[in-house]
Amino acid sequence: MKARFTPFDFLRLAVLCLIGLSMALPFLWMVGASFKPYTEIDTSQLIPAQPTLENYPIVLNQADAPSLGKKLDLKFGRWYFNSLFTAFGITLLQVLTSAMAAYAFSRLRWRWRDRVFLLYLATMMIPGLVIMIPAFQIVVWMGLLNTYAGLILPMAFSTFGTFMLRQFMLGIPRSLDEAALIDGASHWRVFLDIILPLTRPGMIALAIVTFLGSYQSFFWPLIMLNDDQLYPMSVGMLAFDTIFGRQTELIMAASVMNIAPLILVFVIFQKFMVKGLQLGAVKG
Amino acid sequence: MKSRAKTFWEVCLFLGPNLGGFVVFMAFPVLMSFALAFTNWSLKPAVGLEFVGLRNFGDLLLFRPLDGSAGGPLPLAYLGAGLVCCLGVLGVLWAQISSWRGLRLGGALLATLGAALVLAGAATQAPAGGQGLVLAGLVALLTGVLHMRLEPGQDETRPWGPGPALLPPLLIAAGAAALWAMHGAMFATYAPRDARFWQYLYNTLFLMIGIPFSVLGSLLLAMMLNERFALGPAWGRTAGAGLCLLCGAVSCVLLWRAGMPNWAVIGALFWLIAALGFAFGVVAFRTLFYLPSFTSGVALMILWKALYNPRVGPINAVLEQVATFFNLPYEAPNWLGSVALAKPALVFMGVWATIGGMNMLLYLAALTNIPAELTEAAKVDGASPWNRLRHVIWPQLAPTTFFISVMSIIGGLQGGFDQARVMTAGGPAGSTTTLSYYIYLLAFQNLDLGYAAAISWVLFTIILLATLINWRFGREVEQ
Repeated sequence: MKARFTPFDFLRLAVLCLIGLSMALPFLWMVGASFKPYTEIDTSQLIPAQPTLENYPIVLNQADAPSLGKKLDLKFGRWYFNSLFTAFGITLLQVLTSAMAAYAFSRLRWRWRDRVFLLYLATMMIPGLVIMIPAFQIVVWMGLLNTYAGLILPMAFSTFGTFMLRQFMLGIPRSLDEAALIDGASHWRVFLDIILPLTRPGMIALAIVTFLGSYQSFFWPLIMLNDDQLYPMSVGMLAFDTIFGRQTELIMAASVMNIAPLILVFVIFQKFMVKGLQLGAVKG
Repeated sequence: MKSRAKTFWEVCLFLGPNLGGFVVFMAFPVLMSFALAFTNWSLKPAVGLEFVGLRNFGDLLLFRPLDGSAGGPLPLAYLGAGLVCCLGVLGVLWAQISSWRGLRLGGALLATLGAALVLAGAATQAPAGGQGLVLAGLVALLTGVLHMRLEPGQDETRPWGPGPALLPPLLIAAGAAALWAMHGAMFATYAPRDARFWQYLYNTLFLMIGIPFSVLGSLLLAMMLNERFALGPAWGRTAGAGLCLLCGAVSCVLLWRAGMPNWAVIGALFWLIAALGFAFGVVAFRTLFYLPSFTSGVALMILWKALYNPRVGPINAVLEQVATFFNLPYEAPNWLGSVALAKPALVFMGVWATIGGMNMLLYLAALTNIPAELTEAAKVDGASPWNRLRHVIWPQLAPTTFFISVMSIIGGLQGGFDQARVMTAGGPAGSTTTLSYYIYLLAFQNLDLGYAAAISWVLFTIILLATLINWRFGREVEQ
């Protein structure tokens, strides 16, 4: 174990700071640009000479855009809600069904278990694009086009999550639940009272990954929706960029608001997430 | 023993919800997609559903004669030459792994071939094709030079002697020469039935050249983050952080007074990061490096689109200042709007976004799992840092590297949709359209679901082959 701060450490710290700077600079520029008045957007200053907060109410449709002389009529708040709502829905369903299926694959004994699990693993290899086209057709047949259900349901069942939680549950000693079973507890009781609490780190990691992924999902909502009342933030941002792409200051204000919840979630949960990801990955 | 019926109901209870969703939204779509690939399924109401056999795949992969005649054996010969090239490449990998005799001569041949390709690419200067030739040449050059090392256990008396390892480079050379000779005649009389598919396949592969940089960069970052800083007691940390903040404030004020507000802000940010580093150690850097990859979505791409903006974007502003400073001629590069620069610009963005992401975390986990005795023993035996890295750490990381490269290649082959849709609309002149974006265009703009499904299965086959090759050779390297 080293106990001293050597010149080499100093160099390492400096290099790390420089790399960190290159990672942070685009974000700094984004925040800076979001506070620029529209007269200043062509300047190359990182910090505007006359910072203004007015871009945010414009994007949120509370004020007129000075360059247009009217409101943008974006449904930005609505898109926010849609993104958060679908991401929460997908995360909740996915963690719940994955945990239950993982229990069936790791604790119950039944005839076709390993074969069905192999089938799950096999589909993990198939690219999402192969599945998307028929999945779209199925959603059309089910009449779920342009509905929240159509956004949430197809994404709510994950083979990856099942796989990850199964690995977690296999790591829990069997003696714990066998004792309970012998004492006459039902599988449902064992699942709720013994296995779930012990699987919590894995479930939290899965939940964060799923939440971050669904909050940003783009392809599926893009092909599923043509009603801008239902757009999640990703598709809404694209629409915004297509119409008002030249208004960099407004786009950047929107981007800041788009990214802020992600950073919040990540900074709060980063410890769980890094641990869980590494555990799942190393075991898998 | 419990009764069978009870077990059945329990399985239904636990597995039911997930299995139901799995069947409806995954298993069944896979089967259906496979069936669709053999039909002309379309969302246009005027088109009736028909079974068309292999026609979709033929339209995608085959050539057609330009004059409308039946066609001759030339396309087959052309395809054969291409296959010979591919076989040669596989042979090179195989020779390297099983240490065939004659590696040096084979390597020299390969390196020469690579140099010739680079020169040819530079000479033709075709914007798209030239890039590809230069790239392939560089790969051949690099592989050749690596190939020229003498593996231990080889016949050291005749290091340049011919051996079976000469065969694969000869195959590549023969194949390439045949392709070159037939190229003119081939494309004077034949055209690919779907020329766009080949262009987009090339684009997809080109955009994947960021992967090795990203993986190596992740490894470097992970190694820098692996050792904690010995910062001493808590007051030492606080003092260091405070000192950094003070430096930041002073430099910020000084630079601002000197009329360089941008440098003032950048300097302040640098010292702030350093202060965070002192306060929270490696965790601060890990979080910061991970920042681009968990925000990697549409918002980040829109941000980069603004950064690359040729007129008001900051990247060009910096370039212009650098050019004026050194008195160089300056012409604003139109990053995303030019055929030659669009792909490299996207590759750069991709490396920036993924370098500190999942791969870095995986490497960090793997580095922590290396037993300390191993590196200590090597140190005691007097191994240099490079040798410790090469012969102790790198082999221990092999499973992780293998996993990361397989996942990156699979992701890369399927990737490119988001950036094509958000940043470039696949342009200019289709130069950033990848296969995934092509599938999207065909399926949801042309409404040709059958044809799109056929492409997705061709893509799946390519991914499967890449994974198999990776698996075969990756496992060998691990041992």
